[in-house]
Amino acid sequence: MADDVRRWSDELARDPASLVFLPLGETLRRQGQLDLALKIAMRGLERHSHNTDAHDLLARIAVDRGELQRAFDEWDMVLRLTPGHLGALKGMAFVRFQQGNAAEAEEYLRQAAEQGGDAEVVAALTNLRSRGTRDAGRGTRDDRSDNHARPAAHVPRPADVPHPAANDPRALFADILGQEEQTALLLDDQGLVLAGIYMGEDGQDVAAEVGAELSGVTDAARRATKHLDIGEWRAIVLETEVAVVTMAPSAGDGLLVVAASKATPLGLVRRVLDRCLDRARQWLEGSQ
Amino acid sequence: MSASPFATILSTLTRQRGVRASLVVDESDGIVIESNLQIGQDGDRVAALAASLYRKARLSAGAARLGTATFMQLEAERGRICAAGHNDLVLVVVADPAANIGMIRVEMIKAAGALP
Amino acid sequence: MTITAVETWVEAPLRKFVEEARTVLGLLLHPSGQVVAQFGFARAVDVMSACALAAAIHASSGELGKQLEGKAFRGLHHPGRDRQLYLAEAATSRGAFIFLTVFDQESSFGLVRMYFDTFCKDLAAAAPPMSHQPEVVLEDRFEHELNRNLAALFGRG
Repeated sequence: MADDVRRWSDELARDPASLVFLPLGETLRRQGQLDLALKIAMRGLERHSHNTDAHDLLARIAVDRGELQRAFDEWDMVLRLTPGHLGALKGMAFVRFQQGNAAEAEEYLRQAAEQGGDAEVVAALTNLRSRGTRDAGRGTRDDRSDNHARPAAHVPRPADVPHPAANDPRALFADILGQEEQTALLLDDQGLVLAGIYMGEDGQDVAAEVGAELSGVTDAARRATKHLDIGEWRAIVLETEVAVVTMAPSAGDGLLVVAASKATPLGLVRRVLDRCLDRARQWLEGSQ
Repeated sequence: MSASPFATILSTLTRQRGVRASLVVDESDGIVIESNLQIGQDGDRVAALAASLYRKARLSAGAARLGTATFMQLEAERGRICAAGHNDLVLVVVADPAANIGMIRVEMIKAAGALP
Repeated sequence: MTITAVETWVEAPLRKFVEEARTVLGLLLHPSGQVVAQFGFARAVDVMSACALAAAIHASSGELGKQLEGKAFRGLHHPGRDRQLYLAEAATSRGAFIFLTVFDQESSFGLVRMYFDTFCKDLAAAAPPMSHQPEVVLEDRFEHELNRNLAALFGRG
């Protein structure tokens, strides 16, 4: 296989218009080299923009990259070039199903079955019909960062938070936070949770996800303070519609995050942050 | 020649004690749209870095399901950066550590709401 | 991110730019189109094409600037749907270089432009003094020089 890849690469380098980009792109895709496969496919398409197999390849790469809508668009092009293309119909059914649009998924599978679809198509269609889902036309919205489309934001209330044992790191800040609508997390330099807890609306501890998202901000903060020459950063306060989030660097290049409801006075949130920082420092020193 | 639509907003902010620079910036590009700077302030640099930071904070808060960002403040040893966004524009203020942030914050949130 | 360079003195300034600006692809080349350094590219043929295009775009946009303002434009920015491109000249004591970089949502035009200004200063500071007059690359040697540079960049030298 490595020999084939090398041979195809050499041929493509010699002749950029060669159709070997198709087997080369597909092999790279199967090997998981998606970025390279994408480059190969795109360059091939520049020269063979009406090649059905090229669009089909690009669609499959897009699915592997998680770009469902792009995959759908490419298979749509395949159908325009080759009406009734079985692979495209199956692919479009898959995308619509993934997007929660069972009605359209069923329609594409039905068309695939009419085109002489295999046992796999028939089984998928039967399965879909037996689920009885009738999602009429519920498409997906463009998944840009539109916070209004997300579930309502949530800062844990004390009643939501379980009570771990006193020596459990999740309980490190419990007495400081008290009964207020607030929570605290201590993260290490990789954005991984060291202590604290953050309950989601569904009662699951989502500290890891929340911590990972917020820890990315400190990189930007460091960069800004360095290049603007205003010294080391001390804290970030971010206000949203429903919450106040404060972050501060902690010992060992870590990060402390305190989130409180919007109703909490800002000054109070800062005091909680300072107290949690002290607690974190003592705890980290004690654990070394 | 008529003043830009942002001149009044920026002038009000820069008049606050301790404010070194105020800018209206394109959030995605980090490019200055309008600025009011004291001598020695590099508007292009402030715009690029502040917009990038605000955008990162905004997206992170959204992804962490903490809602839509309305105001951000970065405190550092020798200065503060404040940002308030609306649509694709960000109002940015650079201030001294001792500046009255409470007043600046109120003015910025009010002004951000008036951005197109 | 792996950086490969034909002239080693460009590596440090380029690495600093890549780390700070967080761009996806980059090329440093002579105005003739000869590649000097690259990052993010997988194949020599892509580098070759990009160099040729960058040199041509730089030359023609430079002429446009001269027609309009009497001097070449500082830089060129193309915003795409998912990616953007920035092309500009960096001057050193060893002559001018063209720099092309591609970036996505992880960076911004403002940041790239800001870090590029720093890159120009770092590159100028790192350039070793010329010990002799630069060779004029004649057309019949161009292909040979190009292939040699590409081989060096992609480890086949």
